[in-house]
Amino acid sequence: MSATMSPAPAISARDLAKSFTVGKVSTRVLEGLSVELAGGELTLLSGPSGCGKSTLLAILSGLERPDRGSVAALGEPVWELNRKELQRFRLHHIGFVFQGFNLFPALNSVEQVELPLSYLDLGAAETRRRAEAALEEVGLGHRRKLRPAELSGGEKQRVAIARALAKRPQLLFADEPTSALDSVSGQTVIDILHRAARQHGTMVLCASHDPRLIAHADRVLRMEDGRVLADEHTLHPAAAGEPAA
Amino acid sequence: MVALARKTLIHEWRRYLPASLAVAFSGMLLLVQLALVFGIFNGAAVYINASRGQIWAGYPGTQSIDSGRSIPRDAEMHLLMDPQVAQVEPFQWVNGDWRGKRALGSVSVFISGVDTAPDALAFARVIPPALRALLNEPDAIIVDRADLPKLGIRVGESGILNGFRVRLVGTTNGLRALGGVNIVASLATARRLNVGGDPRPAYYVARLRDPQQAAAVAARLDPHERGRRYSVWTASALAARTVHYWLFETGAGLGVVFMSLVVFLVGTVITSQTLMGAVAGSISEYATLNALGASHRALSRVVMEQAGWVGLAGLVGGGVLSALVLVLAQGQDVPVAITATGILACAALVMGITLLSGLLAVRTLRNADPARLLR
Repeated sequence: MSATMSPAPAISARDLAKSFTVGKVSTRVLEGLSVELAGGELTLLSGPSGCGKSTLLAILSGLERPDRGSVAALGEPVWELNRKELQRFRLHHIGFVFQGFNLFPALNSVEQVELPLSYLDLGAAETRRRAEAALEEVGLGHRRKLRPAELSGGEKQRVAIARALAKRPQLLFADEPTSALDSVSGQTVIDILHRAARQHGTMVLCASHDPRLIAHADRVLRMEDGRVLADEHTLHPAAAGEPAA
Repeated sequence: MVALARKTLIHEWRRYLPASLAVAFSGMLLLVQLALVFGIFNGAAVYINASRGQIWAGYPGTQSIDSGRSIPRDAEMHLLMDPQVAQVEPFQWVNGDWRGKRALGSVSVFISGVDTAPDALAFARVIPPALRALLNEPDAIIVDRADLPKLGIRVGESGILNGFRVRLVGTTNGLRALGGVNIVASLATARRLNVGGDPRPAYYVARLRDPQQAAAVAARLDPHERGRRYSVWTASALAARTVHYWLFETGAGLGVVFMSLVVFLVGTVITSQTLMGAVAGSISEYATLNALGASHRALSRVVMEQAGWVGLAGLVGGGVLSALVLVLAQGQDVPVAITATGILACAALVMGITLLSGLLAVRTLRNADPARLLR
């Protein structure tokens, strides 16, 4: 599959606002933020910690409800879905990679990848085939029988990426995927994410303050104080969405 | 389907071991407690359980066999007239006061006067014909081996019973009574010891040609008219009346229920805490699965399956522990008895502990909020 340009953006968010209350102190994290994200692109969300990038990621991916605003993902009004529908939507369309790899200590690599697939009712053979293909894709086919304790940090993150990719999601969210890794492993991980965007046309949104990633992103959104300060297309200036903030 | 629950249990067995042990020990406590109480209170019905007859006639309304009163002798003829009845014999009940040779004070005893024929029914399961024949000697008695220290007597020695000198001609096993000592004597000896009492027997025991007919025979032999002077029960019905009387009239039954509740509570607290700890330890992994689309229900199933395996392991462990304790108890003459119903009830309670603990642990899954992974 080659990189495609979708006529409609994969994600379109309008006028997002979110604040958190701790005790009596209310903190505004997002202020009327709008953004569109295209499929086939790796977008980097960068900025200092506390600037709201993780919150934006959570709202766009259907994990955290905004106080105001709307999110359309693949044409679905995400925050108008009920909990069950949202869960189904995430199951079928969304993959996640977190900073902590969150692998089950008891399972080997191929089982880690099969586990979320098993909820798709694909049948045992297809589940196994997809899981092994995903592990091959991240270069860990030879490590598929090993448990997390026998893998390095970079390999664990690659298993976590394989777990996210095996569902063939159109939307992939990654939160600080490289910050716990050394530079070589970090490089490998970002390459894999980039390749996923190119080869499968996946929209990849990656929140990170790791400056090494900027060179690998198709587009960089620089955030500060709950707003997008700059929107730069780097290698492939062919994004569908226009900056709105 | 990836067997997440089972693989995690095997991989992290140390984490789940306390839960299984809590379940196992709860099960053992429940079962042993029940076996002890049944064992002790079965002692109240030893006269019935150790005898062979299927039918008992006694004073109307008798709640417990030890509170029997004399009944008319025509009850014997009435029983014999039924074509199903093959054999009837009297069973004398006398309260006694024992003084042994040593300075042990007096001991309250129950004297059972029984037929001494080789095929006699009373205590046929614990007194073999040869031993029974020794009772033909005047003033001869038999007691349970475990009661010897209480009576301060050895076989061949004499003691004073209701003011008469009696001689211990033998001992047996399985005669222990509740709240006193059982002494078995011949009908003639028992009558002699029953100073100033009603000479008529308190019970008649009958053997049927077909033991399966016991319920029907008891029903047709029981005189239903008002003012009747005796009642007829099946052996098991009279035994159940007796055990029930002792269990509930003495408050011991409530004690069992209360202790079971305490064990249930303690077992549930420990098991649920362990399971909750295990869920909390994997909360990020569960949250990730939820982010990837696994429903809370699917995650709950994993936790409940783990609880189920923990319970099953605990059930097996508890079964083995209980068996060991019960064998040990029996070897030490500690009265224990358990029925299939009792075992099933304990197993059900144990699985109840597991189920409740699993449900409590499932509540911990509420913390598996994937949004937290992004903060």
